[in-house]
Amino acid sequence: MSDLVDSMLDLMRRLPPPRTEENVAALVNICPDYADDLLGSVDQPLMVKTDRTTGREYLACDYNRDGESYRHVNIVSVSPWSNEYDPPLDDGTLPTPKLRKLETAANEAFDTYREQYYEGGTSSVYLWDLEDGGFAGVVLLKKTLTGSLPSEPTGSWDSIHVFETTERGRQAHYKLTSTVMLQLTTRSGGSDAVNSEKEADWKREGEVTLSGSLTRQEEFDKKLEDPNAHIINVGHMVEDTELKLRTQLQEVYFGKTRDIVYDLRSVQDLEGARRQRELQKELVGFMGKR
Amino acid sequence: MESTDRIQAACNFILQSPPGEINDVLNDVRNIISDDELLHEGVLPALREYNIAQFMTVDVPGTEHQSIVSEASRLPAAEDQEEERFLDPRSKKSFKFDHLTLEASDLQDFEPEAQTEEFRAALETAAVAYLKSHYHDGVASAFSSSRSTSRFVLQVVANKYNPSNFWSGRWRSEYVVDFEEKTIVGKMLVHVHYYEQGNVQLSTTHDVSVALPPAITPSQTSAAKLLALIGEEESKYQNSLNDSYHEMREKTFKGLRRALPMTRSKVDWEKVTAYQIGAELAASKGGFGGSS
Repeated sequence: MSDLVDSMLDLMRRLPPPRTEENVAALVNICPDYADDLLGSVDQPLMVKTDRTTGREYLACDYNRDGESYRHVNIVSVSPWSNEYDPPLDDGTLPTPKLRKLETAANEAFDTYREQYYEGGTSSVYLWDLEDGGFAGVVLLKKTLTGSLPSEPTGSWDSIHVFETTERGRQAHYKLTSTVMLQLTTRSGGSDAVNSEKEADWKREGEVTLSGSLTRQEEFDKKLEDPNAHIINVGHMVEDTELKLRTQLQEVYFGKTRDIVYDLRSVQDLEGARRQRELQKELVGFMGKR
Repeated sequence: MESTDRIQAACNFILQSPPGEINDVLNDVRNIISDDELLHEGVLPALREYNIAQFMTVDVPGTEHQSIVSEASRLPAAEDQEEERFLDPRSKKSFKFDHLTLEASDLQDFEPEAQTEEFRAALETAAVAYLKSHYHDGVASAFSSSRSTSRFVLQVVANKYNPSNFWSGRWRSEYVVDFEEKTIVGKMLVHVHYYEQGNVQLSTTHDVSVALPPAITPSQTSAAKLLALIGEEESKYQNSLNDSYHEMREKTFKGLRRALPMTRSKVDWEKVTAYQIGAELAASKGGFGGSS
């Protein structure tokens, strides 16, 4: 039956990224028994929610969901740490007090990281205990840009870094899976600015959308001097991986997809270029005979 | 879930297929629905709709060229026929089209309207020459309209499928030339899929229109001129795509996340966490470590 999940994942790798949420919902309806497998494997755009008590924004996804409720971490009042579910949930899963403390510190550290790289946006970190003694977590970052004019480009960036760690003495082993979802849209329109006599006056209206996600998986071994070193370790891993993904996104979005457009159509006259090559061949042959 | 809803969902997935991946999508959908009988009948209308909308290209038996399956090439089923047929105006043949195997069969001669055929053929010749100049692997068809003798439709489609390198692309354009209205109304659509370590898609729409000179009439010369005009506009669009890329990269991409913080150095995680521990100590008056 894992074949079925594989088919759902393969399908999601092909369908248009702007319609991910709609398509995941349709798959869940068709195969409700596999909803958890699907929701746990397909990254969807992060939801921005507001903590009712502090008014602060937090990010929601499948990792901080319990039933219909989402957990958030309050980092405004350092003590006592409060993490609550919204809508309220009496028996919602919570990390152990030790992990909750690390979670609060991680939220603060990544808030600094977010400010330095995103200059805005929202970040959330959630940790949870694993049955074998280690713990796992997710670092979420999101920023949205909406143009002030309809003609201005819009965009959104969603980072999801999921990690699992096991401690071995003064060493920690990390498995990190990072996904960045990026959507960019720009609209164009209007006619030629100069209404010259010679040129035809075309009217144009269009939209360009680049959307999707790239994923990287890596494993790391790092020193662990004290529990807080987890934040330093995960911080370095997330920072390095995000930079790699950013470079890769830049190459794919602005390089590869553009190259493919040019593989379909050429602005240069291909026939002219062909004739030039033939002429060159002829000349080489002619000169060679002498 | 009701079987009609399941089929509806399956059809919806099929209609979203990226260029050249319809069989992959169909295969996934088949595993997900796991009811071949239900699927076979149910998805045929979606496959037909997809092929027509995407300007599916088809080898026309007995010719050296490909033809386009589209609304413009569709011959609605006559009363004495059970199936619709599609027209290849270049070879003057009509054919049945299998929307699953993408094959043409049962070729029949087609008699074009004498009044419009001369200009349509001229438009086709000019389009084929244009295709050679600007498309690496394209197909073009020119159609006269059954509704009006002054209306012609030009369609272009170019596909590149490269599954071993995880990408595919499709460029479609359509122009309706109307000698009565004296206009060209057209659209260009580009869809690119890149799926190595992810799923990235470029999707563009671009509608264009232009008024034609009042004196223009259908002729060999005007066909060549129309194609020159269209070709120039297509190149202009391709260049303007570069501007869009530049804008999205410089404004949006950089505005979403910086490559490096303003200080041009990476985050000092030791300092960030040390500061927090300090703040925490101050706030809880030495409470750190107490609860762990």
